Amino acid sequence: MNYVLKKEVFSKFVNSVLKEKGIDFIAPVKSEQNDIIKFQKLISFSDLCLDKNAYYPLKEWFFKKNEVLFEFKGDKITIPEKKPKPKIFFGVRRCDLNSINRQDVAFSEGCWDPYYFLEREASTLIGYHCFEKEDNYCFCGSVGLEDHYDLMFYDRGDYFLVEIGSKKGAWFLKQRIRFFKKTTERLSARKKVIKNANRLQKKNIAPFYDHKNWKKGVDLCLGCTSCNTLCPSCYCFEFKDKVNISNLKNGKRIREWSACQLKDFSEVAGNHIFRSDREHRFKHRIYHQLQYFNEKHGKHLCSGCGRCIRGCPTRIDFVGILNNMKTKKPNVKKPKK
Amino acid sequence: MLRKQKIEKKKKNKKPVVGFYAITGCQGCLLSVLFNEDKLFDLTKLIDIKAFPFIKQLEGAKEFDVVFMEGLVAKKNDLKELKEIRAKTKVLVAIGACACTGGIPAFRNFMKEDNYKHLVYHKAMHLTDMKPTPIDKYVKVDYYLPGCPPDKNEILTFIKDFVLGKKPEIYKKPVCFDCRKEGNPCLLDSGKLCLGPITRGNCGAVCPSGGLECWGCRGPTDDANIKTMMSLLEKKGFDVSHIKKRMKSFVGLKLAKKGIDTYEQEY
Ligand code: SF4
Ligand code: SF4
Ligand code: SF4
Ligand code: SF4
Ligand code: SF4
Repeated sequence: MNYVLKKEVFSKFVNSVLKEKGIDFIAPVKSEQNDIIKFQKLISFSDLCLDKNAYYPLKEWFFKKNEVLFEFKGDKITIPEKKPKPKIFFGVRRCDLNSINRQDVAFSEGCWDPYYFLEREASTLIGYHCFEKEDNYCFCGSVGLEDHYDLMFYDRGDYFLVEIGSKKGAWFLKQRIRFFKKTTERLSARKKVIKNANRLQKKNIAPFYDHKNWKKGVDLCLGCTSCNTLCPSCYCFEFKDKVNISNLKNGKRIREWSACQLKDFSEVAGNHIFRSDREHRFKHRIYHQLQYFNEKHGKHLCSGCGRCIRGCPTRIDFVGILNNMKTKKPNVKKPKK
Repeated sequence: MLRKQKIEKKKKNKKPVVGFYAITGCQGCLLSVLFNEDKLFDLTKLIDIKAFPFIKQLEGAKEFDVVFMEGLVAKKNDLKELKEIRAKTKVLVAIGACACTGGIPAFRNFMKEDNYKHLVYHKAMHLTDMKPTPIDKYVKVDYYLPGCPPDKNEILTFIKDFVLGKKPEIYKKPVCFDCRKEGNPCLLDSGKLCLGPITRGNCGAVCPSGGLECWGCRGPTDDANIKTMMSLLEKKGFDVSHIKKRMKSFVGLKLAKKGIDTYEQEY
């Protein structure tokens, strides 16, 4: 069963959730100083910005920039008790919903990450569908996205069509049913297609690892890591022990973001660096996003959000670079990992 | 306990003997150490501070485990002092932009003498008796804690690592990494000459976070792609000589090593 939320009650709906105690409403908000859209705790309905997707992804709400894993006193360890506040994430685009799914996969692979999933379990994801690519950087239509949301909002002019994607979503809606009306309207898969967003023409990039055209991107790369830090899917981290100055035996272990475009990202004991040249670092990111992850999990890590190009200082368009690699290359070698 | 063991234990518990020194510079780096106000008492329990220019009572030591050296060599006395200290120090740490990369005083290398001499040095001629250079031109430097000013936390972390016997971790990420973590918009997109992509971070991107472009005070990253940075800024409409000047502000002599031409090449 689908539901309808009339635009005239939309602000009432949002305001009523904003007033609810014990729950935070996180949505895209445009900064007054610099026009940057970020997922933030919404204070007033008028701050909600659905014009275009957020410049920064919402991953930092789950995969924290700095997470205290435990505190230690000598060899005694205490894990900080965390009870995250329930959070409603509103206005999440299809690409970003998929990226959250990929991080769910990454943080449950082999071992279930309690820090990440505490936040995830406290979250309800409400999507906002794009019917058309947002700008020329989007290529979500090329990477095989799936449905991954608790509720999904489709803008239908003077009302939103709301689809339920999970029990959590259904429960959230039921609690606030007074704003919604049942409907038999359904959107066909064809109508849901995001127009002009399938720019990446290659299904399998494996045969192109040694292609000479990569150089065009590599030479332009400054190693600034904007692509990694802006990517909603990237999930790499490193650990640090921060000891207290008053007693060096005490302190805390912290997990911080890392980025594969850093030279020392692949540095191991003995100072060996596995990817010491920029070319391998540059290609590693793209191959992890569009090949290695898929080989392991059957879907791309990349959700096609385009942030890594939009936010790249030299706007390296790896999608265009890939598209221009001609298929019939005589001596392509097997991809290296 | 055997006598030998006792001596070993005593040695182990001995606090490292540490000195803070400054040659030509503004002493702002040493001030950064003091900005750790609430931690200074704890700090004195970890290390035995035997020299600090602001503390007159301290008389130095015969030997140092670590010396933090601020400033650059700009006059003959600097060189004499630097060499003396190096000779009695196990680990020499260059602290701040002047010591690490030359900083503002080294910019003199890129100016014509006639243009500045009458303005600045007519009373202090001793300041011009040497070519201003970072300290590693003359002595071996074991570690660099760059920045103008250096980061007070980075200094503390270094000391903690050293006392623990860990290899001090050197931050190699660019300023952009810090900047993106702060959630800033990119200043390059708003037409500002930001050097974040080629500059070593760990400053928490304080300048871009405040809307001011990064001037590169912490020096270039190991793998700084200066050629592409130059052409990017050129494409954005900046004048080549302006870009070069900006890049050289704090680290000119070190950039010369990386292939950016300067008025005076040799270093
Ligand atoms: S990548 Fe697709 S889902 Fe994401 S913002 Fe662009 S058009 Fe919307
Ligand atoms: S954002 Fe662009 S320049 Fe920066 S590391 Fe990524 S690809 Fe390289
Ligand atoms: S790799 Fe680029 S396009 Fe793909 S999810 Fe990450 S930021 Fe978006
Ligand atoms: S692309 Fe790089 S930073 Fe992102 S998840 Fe893969 S290895 Fe990690
Ligand atoms: S503002 Fe400067 S430091 Fe920040 S991301 Fe842009 S180039 Fe990097």
